[in-house]
Formats: sequence, C-alpha cells, structure tokens
Amino acid sequence: MKKNKGKSGDADEKEFVFEFRAGKHNCVLKVPLKFPVHENVSDLHGRLMLLHKIPCYIENELKTSLSNFIESETILDYDREAELALQKLTTGDVDVNQLTNAWTRSYMETTLEHARPEEPSWDEDFADVYHELIHSPASETLLNLEHNYFVSISELISERDMEIKKLLERQAAEMKKVMHELGNTLCDQDVNTVAAQHFKARQVLESKWTSELKQVTCIQKQEYQEWVVKLHQDLQKSNNSSKINEEIKVQPSQLSEPTDSGSRMFEEQPQLEESFTIHLGAQLKTMHNLRLVRADVLNFCKHRRHGSGGEKLRRLQTALSLYSSSLCGLVLLVDNRVTSYSGIKRDFAIVAKECTDFHFPCLEEQLEEVQQVVLYARAQRSSKQKEQPGQEIPKNGGDEKNKNVERNPSNILPGEFYISRHSNLSEVHAVFHLCVDDNVRLGNITARDPAIMGLRNILKVCCTHDITTITIPLLLVHDMSDEMTIPWCLKRAELVFKCVKGFMMEMASWDGGISRTVQFLVPQTISEEMFYQLSTLLPQIFRVSSTLTLTSNTDG
Amino acid sequence: MKPLKDAQLGAFTFFILKTITHPRLCQYVDISRGKHERLIVVAEHYETSMSDLQKQGKPTSPERVMQIAYEVLEGLEFMNKHGMVHRALSAHNVLMDCKENVKLAKFGFYHMTDHGADVDFPIGYPSYLAPEVIAQGSFHPSDPLRDEAPLPSGPKSDIWSLGVLLFELCAGRRLLHNIDLSERLKFILNLGCMDDIVTVLAEEHGCLDAIKDLPQNVLELLRKCLTFLPSKRPTPTQLLSDPVFSGVSCLYTPFQKPVRLFSSSLRCAHLELPEDISDICNDDDDNFLSERTIEEVYYLWCLAGGDLEKELINKEIIQSKPPICTLPNFLLDDTTVTLSLCQLRNRLKDVAGEAYYPLLEDEQSSMPQSNSSNELSTTVTLPLIIRERDTEYQLIRIVLFDRLLKAYPYKKNLVCKEARVDIPPLVRGLAWAALLGIEGDIQNKYDTIDKDTPIPTDRQIEVDIPRCHQYDELLSSPQGHIKFRRVLKAWVVSHPDLVYWQGLDSLCAPFLYLNFNNEALAYACMSAFIPKYLYNFFLKDNSHVIQEYLTVFSQMIAFHDPELSNHLNEIGFIPDLYAIPWFLTMFTHVFPLHKIFHLWDTLLLGNSSFPFCIGVAILQQLRDRLLANGFNECILLFSDLPEINIQACVRKSIELFHCTPKSATYRQHAQPPKGAGDNGYVSSKTMTYSSTDYQNLSRADLCREPLPLSDLKAEVSPRISAEDLIDHCGLSLVGLNKRSKVGKFKIIAVDIRGAEDFNRGHISGSINIPSSTAFSPEGELVQCPTTGVLQNYRGRVIVVMSNVMKSATTFAAHLVKLNFPRVCILDGGINKLKLTGLLTVPSPQI
Repeated sequence: MKKNKGKSGDADEKEFVFEFRAGKHNCVLKVPLKFPVHENVSDLHGRLMLLHKIPCYIENELKTSLSNFIESETILDYDREAELALQKLTTGDVDVNQLTNAWTRSYMETTLEHARPEEPSWDEDFADVYHELIHSPASETLLNLEHNYFVSISELISERDMEIKKLLERQAAEMKKVMHELGNTLCDQDVNTVAAQHFKARQVLESKWTSELKQVTCIQKQEYQEWVVKLHQDLQKSNNSSKINEEIKVQPSQLSEPTDSGSRMFEEQPQLEESFTIHLGAQLKTMHNLRLVRADVLNFCKHRRHGSGGEKLRRLQTALSLYSSSLCGLVLLVDNRVTSYSGIKRDFAIVAKECTDFHFPCLEEQLEEVQQVVLYARAQRSSKQKEQPGQEIPKNGGDEKNKNVERNPSNILPGEFYISRHSNLSEVHAVFHLCVDDNVRLGNITARDPAIMGLRNILKVCCTHDITTITIPLLLVHDMSDEMTIPWCLKRAELVFKCVKGFMMEMASWDGGISRTVQFLVPQTISEEMFYQLSTLLPQIFRVSSTLTLTSNTDG
Repeated sequence: MKPLKDAQLGAFTFFILKTITHPRLCQYVDISRGKHERLIVVAEHYETSMSDLQKQGKPTSPERVMQIAYEVLEGLEFMNKHGMVHRALSAHNVLMDCKENVKLAKFGFYHMTDHGADVDFPIGYPSYLAPEVIAQGSFHPSDPLRDEAPLPSGPKSDIWSLGVLLFELCAGRRLLHNIDLSERLKFILNLGCMDDIVTVLAEEHGCLDAIKDLPQNVLELLRKCLTFLPSKRPTPTQLLSDPVFSGVSCLYTPFQKPVRLFSSSLRCAHLELPEDISDICNDDDDNFLSERTIEEVYYLWCLAGGDLEKELINKEIIQSKPPICTLPNFLLDDTTVTLSLCQLRNRLKDVAGEAYYPLLEDEQSSMPQSNSSNELSTTVTLPLIIRERDTEYQLIRIVLFDRLLKAYPYKKNLVCKEARVDIPPLVRGLAWAALLGIEGDIQNKYDTIDKDTPIPTDRQIEVDIPRCHQYDELLSSPQGHIKFRRVLKAWVVSHPDLVYWQGLDSLCAPFLYLNFNNEALAYACMSAFIPKYLYNFFLKDNSHVIQEYLTVFSQMIAFHDPELSNHLNEIGFIPDLYAIPWFLTMFTHVFPLHKIFHLWDTLLLGNSSFPFCIGVAILQQLRDRLLANGFNECILLFSDLPEINIQACVRKSIELFHCTPKSATYRQHAQPPKGAGDNGYVSSKTMTYSSTDYQNLSRADLCREPLPLSDLKAEVSPRISAEDLIDHCGLSLVGLNKRSKVGKFKIIAVDIRGAEDFNRGHISGSINIPSSTAFSPEGELVQCPTTGVLQNYRGRVIVVMSNVMKSATTFAAHLVKLNFPRVCILDGGINKLKLTGLLTVPSPQI
C-alpha cells in the first residue's frame, strides 16, 4: 500500500492511489479527489467499493487508507493556505495595521465583551416610558392631551386654509379686473406681472403658515415628551399611586373641551366590509383573518375628533399597540419619486400633518432620510455593477428601467418600497410606500410583476418586524378609472388574492405560522354589486374554515 | 445544564453536532429557533472552567498541566476525526466536570456557523488566536473591501490556542490581557520573527523564572504548541502520541465508541460487571436524575414548563427592542437585522429536578414491569395529549422504554405490548424501528448504497422535497433537504424493481424527522415499512395494486357504513378521487407530522389491512358533511381536508378493525405472508390460522381465492372466507377448536338458497331467506319471520351465502341499499362448506 501525493500542479484535485493484491494480480486503484473533500468518507468508500467491484477482504484497509489520505492532504492544504497568509504579511502584501484594525472593529462591534456599553437612546427610553404609561390609568390623559394638541393643530390648519382661500379669492377678483382691462389699458406684460405677484404673495403666505405649523408642532412635541417623561417620573417616585391616579383622573375634565358636534363631522359614506376566517397550509394549518373593505385608503389614517363613533377607542387601540409586537401596516401605492408633492402622496402628507407625531420624526424628515438611503444604495449598486461587468442586476433586470435609474438616481423602481413610521395616524403604525408604474393600470400584469413582488417583500418585512395587520389595495390602484371594467377588476382581484395567498403560505415558514390579519382594500368608488362579486371570489380562492362541530363523544 | 445563547442565521448543521459524543466534549442537546432568526443552543455545561484556575493567580502544577493538555488533545483529536475544528478555544471554554476531567465547550460553534461565515461576529478570542488565523483576516459584513469569508482554519490553529492556554496555566496569569486589542493581535503576528516564542512571552509577562523552572517535558510541549509556522506545528493526533506525554498517556484508556443498537458487533462484548454489585447501589444516594442521559433530562425539563426564550428574557440576555423602532426605512434587498449577542450563558432553574425525582426512585425499584404503580395507571386513562405533557409519566415511560429498547430484540414483544399503551415521543424513532423489526448493521448497509451518482429520478425528488412538510423547520432546513435527498435516493437505488412515485417523499418525512441524526435508521425504517403496508405500491405499473386496494376500501365503507357508502356511490364520489394519496402515503400527505406520529403509533402495531379502518374512520368523522353535500362540495372538502381529531380517529379505527372479519380485507396483491407471528398485537387478535386446528381440511381450501379485478369491483360487499365464518360462528369440529376466544363477534348467517336446498343441509344457526322471495319489487325486504330476525339483529355481521355467488352478491347489494351494516358474502358459497361436514339437517319441527 502506498500513498501518492498528488501532483502539485492542480491545487484542487489530487489522486488517491491504492494498491492491493487479488490473487496473483497486483491491482492499483486511482481515484481523483477534489479538495477540500466535502462528502462523507464512508459514502465515498461505499461508492468506490461498488463502482470498482473491490473485493470485500480489503474493505477495511481501503477505508483507513482513504481516510488517512484525505486527512493528511487536508492538513497539508490548511498549512499551505495558512503560511501563504502569513507570508503575505511579511512581504507586505497585506498591511498589518489594516488587518488588525479590521479585527478590532469586528470585535468591538459585535461581541459584548469588547463592545462599549450600548448608549441609552432617547427613542427607546421614551418608547418604554410611553408603553408603560399607555398601559396604565394615565392612558386616558395621554389620549386627551394628544387630542387637544390635534384640535389646536387642526384649528390652525383651518385658519390657514381660510386665509389662503381669502387670498385666492382676492387674487381672482383682481385678476378678473386685470383681464377685463387687457387690451385697453394693460398689456400682456402687465398681466404676467400681476400673476407673478399673486404667485409670490401666495408663496409667502404658504411658507409663513408652514413655518408656523412647524414651530407649533415642534413645541407640541417637546412639551408632550417632557410631560410624558415627567408624569412617568412622578408616578415612579410616589409610592402612593392612588393619589396620582386621582390627579390624573381630574385632569381629563380640565382638558377635555366641549365636543363640537357640528360642521367638521365627517359624513362617512357607507363603508362596506366583510370578514373571513381562513385556514392555510396543506398539512399543518394556520388560521388567519381576512377582511374585504371598501373604503378610502386615507380613512385608515385620518384622525377625527373624539366623539365620532368609537374614534377614541380606535385611537387608544393604536396607541396601546404602538410599542407592542402586533403592529398595523398599510400599503400605499406611490410613484417613483420620494416626495410628497402630488397625488395620493400629497393627500397622505396632509393627513399625516394634521396631527403632531409625538414619537417619530415628521414625514418630511423621514422621506429625506429615505432619499439619502436611496442615493447611497444606488451608488453602492452601480459600483458593484462596475466591478462585475458581466453580471446584470438580477432584480428588476430590465434594461429600460436601468436607464431610467441612471437618468435620475434619486428615483426608486417599481416594486421597491420605503417605510414611514407614524404614531399619529388613526389605525396604522407603519406605511409601506410601494412604488408602482402605469403598468398596474393595464389589465395584463402577471404574478412576476414588480408590484406583486413588492407585495411579497412587504409581507416579508411584516414577518420580521411583527406587523400582524396589513392593509393591501386589492386592485393595486387607489382610484377607479374608465378602463377598469368589471372583468378587469375580477381578473386583478383574482391575481392579487392568489399571489397573497401564496405569500402567506410562504410566510408560515418564515415565522412559524403566526396568525395575522390581512385587509384587502377596494376603492370607495367601486359599486356595491362589484364589491359583493369580489366577496364571493375571496372564499373561492382562500379556503374559508368551516365551522367546528363539537360533538359530545369526541373527547380528545 | 445551561443554555448558551447565540443569535445568528439558521445554521442547521447543528444536528450533526448532536450525534457527537465524547467524554471530553460537552454534549450538545438542542437548538431552538426563536423569533427574528435567533438561535438558542442548549448544551451540557459545568460550573468550573480553566479561568477559575487562572483566577487563583498562581501557577498550576506541571503534572496537572500535562493532564489537562492531554485531555484537551483527546477532545480535539476526536473533533478532527469528525472534520471539525474548535477555533474558539479559551480558558473559559475548557470546563471541568465534577471528576476534574476536561470538557470542551462550544466545540461545534465554528462548524455550526459554517466556519464563521454565517455570523457577524468573529469566532475565537483575541489572545488565543493563532497567527495564521489573524493573518487570514476577519470577515466583516459591512466591510466593502472583503466580499468573501476568510478561509477555514485547520486543526493546527487549535494547537496554538492550547499552547497559549497552557502557558497561562503555567505562568499563573493571563496573557496579553492588558494590551489594546489591535496591539495584542500585532504582537501575536510579530512573534514570527522571534526564535524562542516561549521565552519571549515569558519575558513580556515577567514570569521568566517560573517558566524556566518548569519540567523539561512541559517546556517541550509549550514549544511544540507555540510554533509559529503551522507546517512545523503538530496536529492534535501527532501531539498525542508525542513522547512528552509518555508519563501521562498511560493513565488514560482510549475512547471506545458506544456500540449502536443496530450493528453487527456484539453489544455486550465490552460489558464489565463490577466485582461487587453493591457498589452500584451505594452510588446512587439521592440523585437519580443525574443517571439519566442529558437528552432525557432536557426533554423533561421542557415538559416541566421550561421555556428557553423566557429564561433568557428574564436574565435580560434577549433585549428586544420594540419592533417599530427597528423598522428599516428602506429595503432594497432582503436584509436581515441580526442581533448579535455572543458569549452569554444562563442558568436554568433546576427546581424541576426535585419535582419529579421521587418517582424515579419508585420506578427503579420496580423496573421492567412498571404498570403496577397506582398513579401511573390513573394517568394511562388520560388522553394521549395530556399524557405526553405529563412530566412524571413521561419520565417513567422513557425509563421503561429505554430499558426495553436496550434489550431489543430480545424484548421486542414487550416493546409491542408497551407501545399499545403509548410511545413516549423522545424514543419514538427507536421504538418504531423496534416495531418494524429493524435488525442488523444498518449503517454499513446504508453506507454501501450509492447516494451520489445522478439518477433520472433526481429531478422529481428535487421538485418534491421543497413541498414536503415544509412547515417544519427541521425538514425545511437546507440540511433537512440534503438528508431527504440522500435517504430517498438510497431507497430508489436499492429497490431496482420499484420506482419513485410522488408521495414517497411524504412517506419518508416522519422517519427522517424522527431519525434526523441517523439517516441509516430512517432509511431502514422506510425500507421495512413499505413492503409491510405498501407492498408493490411503488411498482412502475401499480394500477392493479391500487385499484384492488381502493375496491377493497370501498367494500369496507359499505361494510361499516352502508348509508355513507350509498350516498357516496350515488353522487359518484368514489375512493379513486380522494383516497389514493391517503393510502399511497399512508396518510402522511394529509396530516401534519404530529398527527402522523399518533396515527402511526397505532398503525405500526396493526397489519396491512389496518389502513382501511383508518380510512373508514376518517370518512366517518366527516360523515355529516359528506351526507349533506353533493359531488362538488365533497371534492372541495377533500381537496383541503378539514381538521381531523386524530385520537378519535385512532380509537374508531381500532374499533372498526376488531369487528372486521380478517378475510374481508383479503387482497390478491398483498405481501405474501412471511410466516406466523409477524403482525404485532394484531396477531393476538386474529391469530394465524394453523392448519392443524381443522383436522382434515387444508388451510388453503377455506381461504379466500383471488378474484379478477373486474369481478371484485362489481361486488359491493366484501367476501369472507369460510374459515372466518366457521371461526366466528363458533362452529367447530367436535371440540377440536383449541384457539382462544378473542376477537369473536356475533354473526348471522343468511342462507339465501331455496327452502328446499336449505332443508337438505345448512349451517346450524343460519336463517333461510330465499333470494327469490326476499325483496319486494320496490327493493324493500318482504316482511316475514326470518327477515324480522335480520332486522332485529341489525348491526351484527351478516354473512350471505348461496350456492351461486352471483345471487349472493345481488342479495348483499340489496341489503346494503337498505342500509344494513356489516354485510358480507361467503367466498365460494355453501359448496365450500360441504366438505367440512358442518352442514346439518334441522329437526323437522322447526
């Protein structure tokens, strides 16, 4: 028996040579082996025995020699690699300082032993404090306080609206006058000047209000946070909690102002809604709740004055779960710019500003941050791409789209989304701004469409970040238009239902099947008949759980 | 026992670690995946470690150092044999058990994390890192310069770490402790330029004298370990046989791998009884629990309400932030945020130990026949779900099964007997193997099967595995998929006459799940299971087998539940539409794993006709809904089978089994009998019929004869053999029936020949309803005294016999139409009985 060290020419493949005697013959077995060897030695051995019909009397001999060979060659490989690395250091191919710094950094950042103690972050402390308070008798006070702030903001806003309206009226009258005079005493030039003046005046007014609003919200936020922290400290200090409770209980009456039951009450259009309980999974079934809702998407966000049907309770519910592990999310379909100037984004921004966000940065700041990340990520990605010119970006790999990105790196692609966090919306904590293009208005999108893949990724985030209730626009549009016929709606709904079902089943393997609620939202303008068609479609796609019949003799 | 907590991406290579057992290594026990990719690893742990020795601040004696070195090397060598490297050797990872023996902890950490590639944090401790490890660099995810993980380290890097550790012990102080991290690493790298590393280190730490005074062999060892160049440094194996250990190695006996249950060698070969038996008795003074294996203790700890995650949260190791704070703002890729907390341990509450300890004592006194204990017998009556959660009960059962299985195959019958009560989940894998009668050196057999060469079925297997019981994290892990593939391929390759049919993957799942660490056993169980219950189901052309099976099944439905059968036949909802996946996968395709286990616990005790009863039991649970619905609704209902109460189903199917004549489920394509007594407890119910019982009749005469499939399909009711009829009617030839009376039920034999024939000779006790006059044109039974008897005894097994099979079949079909349950036909008709001499002529007055 002799072992032959493989030719050093090929570093990965070595030849195992085994000699044995069978009767009068000298046999030699040569096996090329790939190093490092990943497969099981016993398996390899078994295969060799079988393949080469090796007599069984040398079975054990072959096995030991094979495993010895692999062992010693592996050690040699290790040694070679290790010394190569050491050599690089001595020759100066690798900088010692850089190397040790990398080590140090990874130790510092990742292991507790070497890391600096985590700095207490204001956000998290505040989160704890708030979470504790909202689950205490003080919650009522907190809510009332928030509500009062909300009222004052909305008063400001209505004042602003009034003033702008007045200005506009005045300007319109002026303009009318000017137009009247056009051609007589005034020329085009003058009209333009007036228009420019008007525009300027309007901008000045708007920016004045904007800054005022901003200031007020800042003050409110600060006051509020200080107050919350103080209240918490007071509560902790006093052992006699009953006294505090009384104190707290007094406050609401002072704070609460007469509910104005009048003008600003929202005339709610009848919101249609149907709920289903479903079971998912082929063998192990998990239960989920589905709801089909006909409503405006901003209904889930809009804050209303207390007193209007259960609004306060809804608000309390949202506040209670803010720092819990069952969050509510909403998918908002946006275009490819990370702004809030137009369309649904503008409407949403208005709603989000109606009430101060006492916990998170305001929407503009959050969007700003997202924009930064987008730019950074694009830069990273394009530099990666340059490094590996052969490879295309696998995700959304269309050339056209890539060109689009190159034109404006601050835009996002269809199917990508950004998330904003809110504490001030009525039923939602996190909003997924999913970018969609005009394709979704056409009828022929498939399950591979970026918008659908975006939904999948959103659901994945829901899994990893404990968002247990998610609202999805079923038709992937927020408003109906003429081309959206009944067959179009049904086709689209079927696609989304099926895809979401698939994703939900996939989710079960990500998080071990936590029960969740998925709300499918259809636009307000859809007909009642259409809504009921959709609600009959849903149980055909999802298996609605049948009622459990308990019989007396099934003692489990 | 302490859980060791690490948060990282799922690395399921862990399960190999569980199988690695060595006295110098801390046994890994369990891993559990928490929310957000947290992994909690449970392993054996001891309070004292080398760092305690260091804390004493004085040098350890040279003899002790040599012992420690030797023991560590033993552990390392064993690891290397299994292709593993420790890489994280340090003072606090080298533990001491109560006998002052070394135990290496966290030995699988490097392996588990795919050489550190799966985790964000570096593995190993700066002071102990070997120079080549440092030189190969650290992988940092946020480091844009390095995209790939550093090369894996070899066994020799552990030797360096050991050298540092030993040096610390000798010097009585920690090395490089007070220097800044990056300086420390640089220092280690610079050691390459030194001639005598040991001296340099000693000088640096001001302990030159202490080192100089060490005995020669210790110094020699230190030098060997602290060799800068890996190629000059010895491996653990080489070092173990080095002359420096000549004084120590004689104290240790080489480790003997414990013999597995299934192997070709004699298990008792190395058994040595202590000279004085009373020694053993003196040993166990108060802690019986410590005698049990760590797996059992952990399992019981969990049963006793242990919750890993809670423990960790209580000790503030998991500090979860409110999720809303961690929401990423932007997601371009599926980035996962991993909390990485390393090196934290926690102590378990050991309260649970005392709670169930007295019973163990009780148990040991009355070892093998445990059922005597009072408390136990009350627990037995509780539902299985409760029993499985009952710590004390499980302890007793586990101890019992452990003993019985150790005595397998000698105690096989007792295993069967105990399995009828229940099977404790912890030992289910082995218990099933015992029930299936696995024997021999299965590992060797499995090894010799070629599982690597591509075969045409690969593609289908590849497609099926990711769909098979993927809700289970074990089976959905990459490691699970690999094992799945290997076991399935092994089966396909080793059964050339059979082919892979979809469904085989589901069938494999329970075995693989139970024997995740023992592919060979999973394979062996599957190979034993298929011929027993699914004989020839996996033929390339299996239609005749399946068709016959389904026909018998529909006969069984008619036999047990004629009303349901009538309804299903009426709407055309035949078993072909729903039952093929049931039987082809033995229900593994339709139930989740935990239900399969309970179902199969019983199934494995039954014979190959037991699945029919399960099928009928399932249908009966859904009876109301099936009866109320038409074809489409039924199809929908079965396309996604509703929840089935498996306990009730099992109970019902046992009940059904007991009132089914054995020959009713006769199948031509069943597995030919191998011999007597191979059917578990069923054999006690329907004892194999030995021909000597019936003097002058050969057994074959009275058995059922094969029928062409088309004829079989035409019959609504099953046929039973004359043998069964004779048996159950209590007829026998002049007191020669010596068999036990179990399993008998009331039978009404209905003779449908004309009265004339009947009077000429019939079986005693049979009633005569001539077929020509029995039914009205509307299909109703004509009122007369004999049909009245039939009505009165509704529920008994009705055996229709005639001299013409055709008329018996029609008659039986009529009865089924009228919802008579348990109608069957005598195979071969009256003529068969003529030979037995059992036909009697009645006395004329009746």
